[in-house]
Amino acid sequence: MALLEIENLTVRFGGLTSISKLDLAVESGAIVALIGPNGAGKTTAFNVVTGVYEPTEGSVRFEGRQIGGRPPHAISQLGIARTFQNVRLFRGLTAIENVRAALAAARRSGSADVLRPPRWRRREAELNEQARSLLERLGLAREADAAAGGLPYGEQRLLEIARAIATRPRLLLLDEPAAGMNPSEKQALRELVARLREEFGLSIVLIEHDVRFVMDLCERVTVLDHGEKIAEGPPDTVRRDPRVIEAYLGTGGGAA
Amino acid sequence: MSRSGWITVAACALVLLALDVLLPRVLNPYYATIVIRIGIAVIAAVSLQLVNGFTGQFSIGHAGFMAVGAYVSAAFSVYVGAGWLEAFAAVLPGPLARVAYYPMALAAGGVAAAVAGLVVGIPALRLRGDYLAIATLGFAEVIRIAILNVDAVGGARGFSVAAADHPGADLRFEGFGTVYAVALVTIVVISRLVYSSGGLSFRAVREDEVAAASIGVPATRVKVEAFVVASFFAGVAGALFAHSEGYVHTNSFAFLRSFELVVFVVLGGLGSITGAVLAAAVLTAAPELLRGLGEWRMVLYSLLLIVTMLVRPQGLLGTRELGFDWLRRRLG
Ligand SMILES: Nc1ncnc2c1ncn2[C@@H]1O[C@H](COP(=O)(O)OP(=O)(O)OP(=O)(O)O)[C@@H](O)[C@H]1O
Ligand SMILES: [Mg+2]
Repeated sequence: MALLEIENLTVRFGGLTSISKLDLAVESGAIVALIGPNGAGKTTAFNVVTGVYEPTEGSVRFEGRQIGGRPPHAISQLGIARTFQNVRLFRGLTAIENVRAALAAARRSGSADVLRPPRWRRREAELNEQARSLLERLGLAREADAAAGGLPYGEQRLLEIARAIATRPRLLLLDEPAAGMNPSEKQALRELVARLREEFGLSIVLIEHDVRFVMDLCERVTVLDHGEKIAEGPPDTVRRDPRVIEAYLGTGGGAA
Repeated sequence: MSRSGWITVAACALVLLALDVLLPRVLNPYYATIVIRIGIAVIAAVSLQLVNGFTGQFSIGHAGFMAVGAYVSAAFSVYVGAGWLEAFAAVLPGPLARVAYYPMALAAGGVAAAVAGLVVGIPALRLRGDYLAIATLGFAEVIRIAILNVDAVGGARGFSVAAADHPGADLRFEGFGTVYAVALVTIVVISRLVYSSGGLSFRAVREDEVAAASIGVPATRVKVEAFVVASFFAGVAGALFAHSEGYVHTNSFAFLRSFELVVFVVLGGLGSITGAVLAAAVLTAAPELLRGLGEWRMVLYSLLLIVTMLVRPQGLLGTRELGFDWLRRRLG
C-alpha cells in the first residue's frame, strides 16, 4: 500500500476545473516531484491533500485512511505537513516560536499551562531544546530569536520547512521550495531535502517548475497540465516526453 | 508550585491585605472608588486582550459579558447568596464569612458570562472575518435591552445589590484586596496561558489562520477557548463591579463601555498584557480626575486613538511586555 493514494481526483471551482481525474501514488520513503506550467493545478493538489479544499470527486487516502474533506488541522495531526508557495510564517513571532508552536500544537493543555506543574516545566524545556536543534539542522540557529517576518526570503523558506518538520510528519509537501533561489542555493536546498528525508524518515512531494532541479533528487516525476496528468515516470524519461515539452513551450515557460 | 512560587504568593497576599486595611484609611471614598474601578477595568481589559490582542479576533461587545456577570452575580447574591452569607456571618468572624462567600458570587457571574461567550462564540468564530465584531456588538445590545425588561433585576430602575430580608448579610464589598487579588489572578492566568508553547497557538491563529491549521492548530477551537476565557473574566469583572458599587444599571454596560475596553487594548498595544494594564489604569483614572469633561470624554478617546494610531500604530507597548521577564521569573 502506498503512503498517499490519490484516485480519480477532480477539483472544480464553479465552472473552472483545476484538477481533472488525477491518479497519484506516493510510496513510503519516496521523493517525488509534481511539475507543470502555471495554473496546472499543482498547488490545488496540495490544498486538497492538506484539507484546505474538498475534493469535488475522487478520493485521497493517507496510510489507508480516507482523508479527503477532513479539516486541515486534523490532517496535520495525522502526519502530513506542508510549506506554502507564498511563504506563510507567523511573521510576528520569532523563528524559534514558529517552530515551538508547531511542536506543541497538537498536544496543548490550557490547565497545565496555567498551573505549571514540574512536568510542564520539563516538557517546556524539552520543546525548547527540540526547537533549537531543528533550527540548527536547517542552519538557522543564529536566527532563533529574530522575528520571522524580518528574515531574508531564503531563510524564511527554510524556517517554513523547519516548522513543517516540527509537526513530526511522515509526508512532507513542499510547494516550490526553490523559488527565487540562485543555482548554488538551489544546490544546497537539494542536498538539504535529501538529508531531511533520511534524518526524519520522510516521504516528500515537491512542486517545481524546473525539471532540471528535480533530476537527481527525485525518483519519480508527475507532470500536470491544465489539471490533467500528462506524463509520469523517472525524470529522465519525462523530460524527453513530447507532451511535456509541448506543454511547457505552449505556455511559453521554457523550463523543461 | 516551587518554594519561591509560594513565597511570591504569600508576599502578594500580604501586600493585598495591607492595602485592604490601609487604603480606606488614607484615601477619601471618592478616590477609593476610582482605585477599585481601575482594578475592574484592568480585569476587563486584560481579558479582552486575550481575544483581540493575542488571538487576533475583533470583539467589540465585551461590556455585554460584564453585564451578564454583574446581573447574574447580583441576582445570585440577592436571591440565593444572602441567606448563606448571613449563615456564614453567624458562625464566622466578618472578614472570614466574606472570604467564604464572595468567590461563589464571583464564580456565578464568571460562569454565566462564560456560557454566554460559548453561545455567542461558537457560531461567530467558525466564520472568518468580522462576524465576531457584529455578533458581539449585537449581543451586548440585546443583553442590555433584555435586562431592561426583567423586573426581577429591577428593569429600567437598575438593581440594588441588597437583600432586605437578610439584615445580617452585607452584600457589598469595597475591598481593594478582593479586586486586586482577582486582577492579579487574571493577569497571571492569561499571561501563563499565552506565554507557553501551547499558548503560541493563540498567536499563531492571529498571525495566519491557514498556516496555523497546517501545523495542527484547531483554529476555531482556539478562538472559542480564548473567547470563553475572556468572557469568564469579563463576567467576574462585572460581578466585582456590581458588588462594589452596590447597584447596577445597564447604562454602565452600554456600547461606550465596550468601546472604552477596545481603546484600552489597542492603546496599550495589541498583544501586550502590561500594555492593557497600563492603558486601563491611566484611562480610567484620567477622565475621573478631569471631571467636567463630561461627554467630551468620548471625543478625547477618539482623539487619543487617532493620535496613537498616527504616532504609535502598534500601541504604547506594541507586543512587548513591561518588565515581563522579571515578573515571569517571580510568577513562573
Ligand atoms: N480557490 C480557488 N478559487 C478559484 N479558482 C482557483 C482557486 N484555487 C485555484 N484556482 C484555479 O485553479 C487553477 C490551478 O491553480 P493552482 O494554484 O493549483 O496552479 P499551480 O499549478 O500551482 O500554478 P503555479 O505554478 O502558478 O503556482 C488556476 O486556474 C487557479 O486560478
Ligand atoms: Mg502553485
